[in-house]
Amino acid sequence: MVHRMANILFIGLSLSSILLLIALGLSITYGAMGVINMAHGELVMIGAYTAVLSGLYLNLNLFLALPLAFLVSAGVGLAVERVIIRQLYGRIIDTLLATWGVAILLQQLIRLEFGLSFFGIHVDGLGPGFQSFPIPAFLSENFDILGFTVQPYRSFIIVLTIALTFLTWFLMYRTSLGTQVRAIMRNPQMAAACGIDVNRISAWTFAYGSGLAGVAGVLLAGFKAVLPNMGESVVVDGFLVVVVGGVGSLFGTLLSAAVLGQINGVFAILTNDIVARAIVFGVVIFLILLRPNGLFGFKSR
Amino acid sequence: MIENRSLAQKLDWAVYITFFVVVLCLPLLTDDVFWLNRISKFLVFGLLGLAIALSWGYAGVLNLGQGLFFGLGAYMFAMSLKLKSGTSLQQGSDKPVPDFMVWNAEPGSPTELCCIVPGSWLWLPFQSQTFGMIMAVALPILVAFVVGSAIFRLRVSGVYVAIITLALVLLVRLLIIDAQPITNGFNGLTDLGWLNLFGVEFDPYMYETYYLVAVSCCVIMLAARWLVSTRAGLILQSTRDDANRSRYLGYDVAAYQIFFFVVSAAIAGFAGMLYVVAAEFASPTFLDISFSISMVVWAAVGGRSSLIGAVIGAVLINSIEASVSETEIFKEAWKLIIGVIFIFVVLLLPRGIAGVARDFARWLEDSYLQSTSKRG
Repeated sequence: MVHRMANILFIGLSLSSILLLIALGLSITYGAMGVINMAHGELVMIGAYTAVLSGLYLNLNLFLALPLAFLVSAGVGLAVERVIIRQLYGRIIDTLLATWGVAILLQQLIRLEFGLSFFGIHVDGLGPGFQSFPIPAFLSENFDILGFTVQPYRSFIIVLTIALTFLTWFLMYRTSLGTQVRAIMRNPQMAAACGIDVNRISAWTFAYGSGLAGVAGVLLAGFKAVLPNMGESVVVDGFLVVVVGGVGSLFGTLLSAAVLGQINGVFAILTNDIVARAIVFGVVIFLILLRPNGLFGFKSR
Repeated sequence: MIENRSLAQKLDWAVYITFFVVVLCLPLLTDDVFWLNRISKFLVFGLLGLAIALSWGYAGVLNLGQGLFFGLGAYMFAMSLKLKSGTSLQQGSDKPVPDFMVWNAEPGSPTELCCIVPGSWLWLPFQSQTFGMIMAVALPILVAFVVGSAIFRLRVSGVYVAIITLALVLLVRLLIIDAQPITNGFNGLTDLGWLNLFGVEFDPYMYETYYLVAVSCCVIMLAARWLVSTRAGLILQSTRDDANRSRYLGYDVAAYQIFFFVVSAAIAGFAGMLYVVAAEFASPTFLDISFSISMVVWAAVGGRSSLIGAVIGAVLINSIEASVSETEIFKEAWKLIIGVIFIFVVLLLPRGIAGVARDFARWLEDSYLQSTSKRG
């Protein structure tokens, strides 16, 4: 009984971790820049495809794919920020709509193999079908400690998430860059008046958030099929976490990812996956109605 | 200035009248009933664009879950039509029982609608087509009233409304899929019978059905147009522009927002019903997020603050999509193009096609006025 409970909580914790990684990036971009990035899920998807492609062509394993996916997703995020989002600051609903267009665009680029499929060229690892990404053998085999089953891959996800959350906290609260980001969150005009280069900092912040999405994508690729539309459901979940936790609050995002992930995990086992997700949505709606600023949000902007 | 306004109004009415004439005369130009059926579906989508424009453009409330009301309307009416279908009458009972219920039933359970599967008694009143029609509009209204009251009385606004409505449509979609024994889950309701109004059978591939959809569409457009020009409509627009000021002036802001939220839901529910008549199915895909966001795309491309713009945007985008999606690869490429178009519209034409048309009219008028003043 205790073991079963522990297993359920463990699975919930690993779900929470992925959710947190996705939400961290969103929380930063939404909180710092007031951008609702619907293409965040597609940055996750790009991370997953980076892992697949680097495994196929460069023979990179999981550990090398992680930093590479971070860089690729960050690069794509930076490009999106420079070309599109930069023109939409202050028009929050419009950022939602424009990035929805970006999301479709990125999905179709993968599905059409960057347009090559028009010329009858097929690239392995791209296209509409699903891809898989093998994880190293020593992470995929469960072992027992004191009767508890340990799933090394899920443990790895949890550890990496903790490390990246700590890194994000450190960047945000212990470096001058983070201070500037937090100043922009509170009041972009005042921040600019104090000599902060809002454009540059925003671009870097956006790239960092996108990079985190890429890392989440690689981790997702380890236990889920990689598909061009895998980002669609991911982005909604991420947003719910961010909004429930409170915009711009790292701790709120952490707590809400933990709670929503656990609710999902526990109810998935008590009932089924569909009901579990429905319950999560119900809880989210209820919480937003009660506290529109989130559990730990501040009123500003 | 007054000149200006009258010209804009004239342009508006000219567009409305042209649209009505074209829509109502289309069947005279073709005898391709499949094509007409397709157009009637697009007109239904036009109504969805209209519902979005009403809540987004006029109330400033972006509803990312309009598919909820469309889906509810569609399911309610599809339940009635399912019971009228021939496939529901061959189950060894003198009363209709949907075929999928028989497949799902436990062995030995009675082949009666009341108790064949748990919860199937919910279907009982839908044996009356009128009940289905009423519910197709009444249920969206009820849900919109409850949800709208919660949202607007608590003064939730902006992005949070979008997130709540988004979560809500996903929630209901999952509930429908989970209630597989009585909703047929992922497969939805198919093999439906035909709508029968005053003894007329509405075969989806006949002129009658096209006219039913086209006339309903025109009437609803006119009614919505009238509604936003009433006092209530003007107050609604003031709450969009500055809710606090309207509140300060003594208006019950939430009441106006709830009212128009409900109207928008009723239009979407009605559209769902019409869609079932024309397309002969109802499925959980109606509640997909991508469908709800597509509606917003149609309204944005057509012009979010123009009712007819949104209708035209929906019809236009769907027509182009249907004509290019004959082959699989072009269909995928078209989606890519839609993505690009959408980015461009948001960046460069935030007021959509309607905005461009209005600017063009203004430019025409200005150059006309200039030339007359030069001559004068």
